[in-house]
Amino acid sequence: MVRRTTFVTAIALMCGGAPASAQAPATLTVFGAGTLAAPFKQIDAAFEKQNPGVVVQAQFGGSVMMARKIADLHQNADVIAVADYSVIPKYLFGAEAKTAHADWYAGFAQNAITFVYTDKSKFSKEVSAQNWYEYLTKPDVQIGRSNPDTDPSGYQTLQMLALAEAHYQSPGLEGKVLANAPQANIRDTETELVAALQLGQIDYLAIYRSDALQHHLAFLDLPAEINLSDPADAASYAKAVVHTKNGDVAGKPIVYAVTIPSDADHPDWAQKYVAFLLSRAGQEIMASNGFGVVNPPYAVGLDAMPENLRALVKPWPGQ
Amino acid sequence: MTDAALAIERASLTLGQFSLRAIDLELEAGEIMVLLGPNGAGKSVCLELIAGFHRASSGRILIHGREVTDLPPEQRRVGLVFQNFGLFPHYTVAGNVSLGLRARRGAGRTGTARNVGELLSRFGVAHLSDRYPQDLSPGEKQRVALARALATQPDLFLFDEPFSALDARTRVSLREDLKAFLRHSGMPAIFVSHDQTDAALLADRVAVMNRGEILQVGAVSDIFGKPVNAFVAEFTGVENILTGRLSGQRGDLRRIEVADAVLHAPGGDFAGGEALLCLRAEEVGLRPGDDAAGPFGLVGATNRLSGKVVEAVSLGAITKVTVDCGFVLVARLTNRQARELALAPGREVIAEIEADSIHLLKPDAADRIAVANTRQANETISIPHPWRSAAQTRG
Amino acid sequence: MRNISARPNSVLLAVWLVGSLLLAFILAPLIGLATVQSPANLVRVAAMPDVRLAIALSLLAALLTTLSAALLGVPLAYGLARSDFRGKEIIAAIVDLPLAIPHTVAGIALLIVFGRQGWIGGPAGEFLGLRFWGTLAGVVVGMLFVSAPYAVNAARIGFEAIDPRLEKVARTLGMGPWDVLAKIALPLAWRSILTGLTLTYARAISEFAAVAILAYYPMTAPVKIYELFLQFGLDASSGMALLLLVVTLALFILLRQIGRRGGAFARAGR
Repeated sequence: MVRRTTFVTAIALMCGGAPASAQAPATLTVFGAGTLAAPFKQIDAAFEKQNPGVVVQAQFGGSVMMARKIADLHQNADVIAVADYSVIPKYLFGAEAKTAHADWYAGFAQNAITFVYTDKSKFSKEVSAQNWYEYLTKPDVQIGRSNPDTDPSGYQTLQMLALAEAHYQSPGLEGKVLANAPQANIRDTETELVAALQLGQIDYLAIYRSDALQHHLAFLDLPAEINLSDPADAASYAKAVVHTKNGDVAGKPIVYAVTIPSDADHPDWAQKYVAFLLSRAGQEIMASNGFGVVNPPYAVGLDAMPENLRALVKPWPGQ
Repeated sequence: MTDAALAIERASLTLGQFSLRAIDLELEAGEIMVLLGPNGAGKSVCLELIAGFHRASSGRILIHGREVTDLPPEQRRVGLVFQNFGLFPHYTVAGNVSLGLRARRGAGRTGTARNVGELLSRFGVAHLSDRYPQDLSPGEKQRVALARALATQPDLFLFDEPFSALDARTRVSLREDLKAFLRHSGMPAIFVSHDQTDAALLADRVAVMNRGEILQVGAVSDIFGKPVNAFVAEFTGVENILTGRLSGQRGDLRRIEVADAVLHAPGGDFAGGEALLCLRAEEVGLRPGDDAAGPFGLVGATNRLSGKVVEAVSLGAITKVTVDCGFVLVARLTNRQARELALAPGREVIAEIEADSIHLLKPDAADRIAVANTRQANETISIPHPWRSAAQTRG
Repeated sequence: MRNISARPNSVLLAVWLVGSLLLAFILAPLIGLATVQSPANLVRVAAMPDVRLAIALSLLAALLTTLSAALLGVPLAYGLARSDFRGKEIIAAIVDLPLAIPHTVAGIALLIVFGRQGWIGGPAGEFLGLRFWGTLAGVVVGMLFVSAPYAVNAARIGFEAIDPRLEKVARTLGMGPWDVLAKIALPLAWRSILTGLTLTYARAISEFAAVAILAYYPMTAPVKIYELFLQFGLDASSGMALLLLVVTLALFILLRQIGRRGGAFARAGR
């Protein structure tokens, strides 16, 4: 008699201890582009607060590298967010007879290319958003940028310079600026060069606007026609085509995209996470970190998306 | 001005916790001096001071009248040999010797150019010329080390316990070789050792050191027979150091009360009061006999006392006998003598001690320094038994 | 010494058992690296000119690093071995510091000093035209910082193992302190010094972060491997990694063989 009661009590306790939802607590693995590190820390904290028992473990790095981790190294991520939306179809949709790891993505935030500088930089007092190209083309000015072959901001910088040469009608602008950004000043992600900027090794660093705000660095707010920030200018951005080791890349507005890989360990929690990211709360966090928001988020591959997420997005214009 | 081979004048130096205090030493041409003392006495430091590895904080050092106090070691012209002979393991025998020759060539010394082969032949090691030091016997190593040092035509040789890592037999033969070499070459030398046999067999004079000071310098017979204080006495193996009270005179001798007995010894300039008596155990003779076998007391120039054997211990070649004759007396007998006396605890014996073999010390003679002018002639002093080392004395 | 007729020693058996665990721990990832790709891949990677260039650059820069470490570190080691003064062990601890500093931090610290506006980099650039950012000199600086301690420590042990009385005897034979260093101390410590320099070389070749921050270009092998991974993925990067391993392994075996021959004398010195 006593034994049976104990047994029933034990079962009841075990059931009662489970959370209200049908799932047990989980550890979510999130891969993100380097520039998303700061806002995602806040998003992860807010998400964990809303969902006690869930732990988010995030890793950040170059968008291409994070995509390769899933595609080549077979590492499991529940969510991946990249700085250039085209990285997802290029590396994860199963092109060139490789395994497909994803079949949709949603664009949720925007960014712009700027130049950051310090008071140690040459011409720091004279330079402005209107006249920057007159100074950054001068010899002996050292400029840093990221590697176009491995990092989206690298080729985006090159696209911006091509657009600038046309916009300011200043022939040779692109060449002169690039002459000031030789190989020694290139790194895989531009954030690796922030220290060099702060120590005076380089004078100007091509970087995302969100990074400029996060690092509290003075920056040049370049015109929307050239800084890849406005989806409305997508057609003119597309005129700037850049050659990289991974092929030719045409200019596109900088839109951050997210997807849930098909071999995610916790797909249900991943969906909740992405839903939070795309919600107003998530977008507010992105905006407060210097990103532009895409409202409502655009998506490609809606049919493949989970139902609850599909409701939050609109089809990507022009895709 | 002095033409002494070596003169150290009031040299002092401090090394961390240790100091050499006001060292005065003189070595005559062709003389061999043994520097004797316990571990930590400062003997090696003294040698290093002469060689130039320490700088004296005060005082002077002169070699053959040439002041070397401020000269670096390579300009002092001393030869140094230390434990295991210090041959360079990465050079052959010929290489080792030629290193000395080559270094000297620049010094501008006159004399016939000696080549390596000549030098090696002189020492009888020419056949080893291409061997490496690790393949040589200790005797061969010593000869190579001497050849190498000699190649630099030094003014003085310094030996820092070169035999201490060798077994007894090798020691004996190497010591003879070394002595022959030094006598033949007429090289002055200082030999550091803690072994009294080295002192006895090699030295013209001995200097006893302790705690950075030189306590006594003199001929071997003086050091061993007339120690200047209790430390020297103990260190050189005096086993009977007795306290006594001077109480009168008899002829040239003083009368001294020692516990319940009386001894007579040469008193020299003692005024009176307490004294320490030093008597070597080898100087005590024992005869069979009891109370009735008188006369006792001073008989001629010999003290005769009656006593009882307390114990007799065989030490291999020697028997050490402890006798109670009103005070505790230690004697050393040959095994044969011990057999003839049929020693056993309780046996009654007669102790005979020549007055001259007792040496008196003032009780506070702790730190006096005495230098004797006499120089020992090698052949005349016969030391009947090997001295025991200081470590064993402490036993 | 080999004693073939000895009975099996249980202590030796035990330590080899435990030791083989460590050996397996080291070998397993390396074997994994070798087997995860095909020989064809290896050939393809080896055919890439910038792969060979990066390896050659690594070997060259590490050599310059090792020479610098020898010229600067061996004298320091002799000083530490033969001098006696109050702050000596503090200096020895300073020499070991690079081993404890995270490599990224080291890279940033070197950038502060050797960068365009750095304490050394600024004047060097202005007066000597010597730049470290993105140059071979910068590569050597990064490598030297992390690998110099090995050279100093091994050389110091080598010098300390020499009976100082040997050096004293040499002085009395008429050799000045320089002669003693050249003819007595260096030859007897040679084996230890070589071991130290081999470690220095190895450490220099493998350094990534400290080099990459100051001089990402010209690309050394570790940086190139990283870049290959980013651009082409697993196959290319592991292929180059294996290539680098094979080259350096061959080099070290060669160096150790040379060292063995010079070692006998030091052992016989006592």
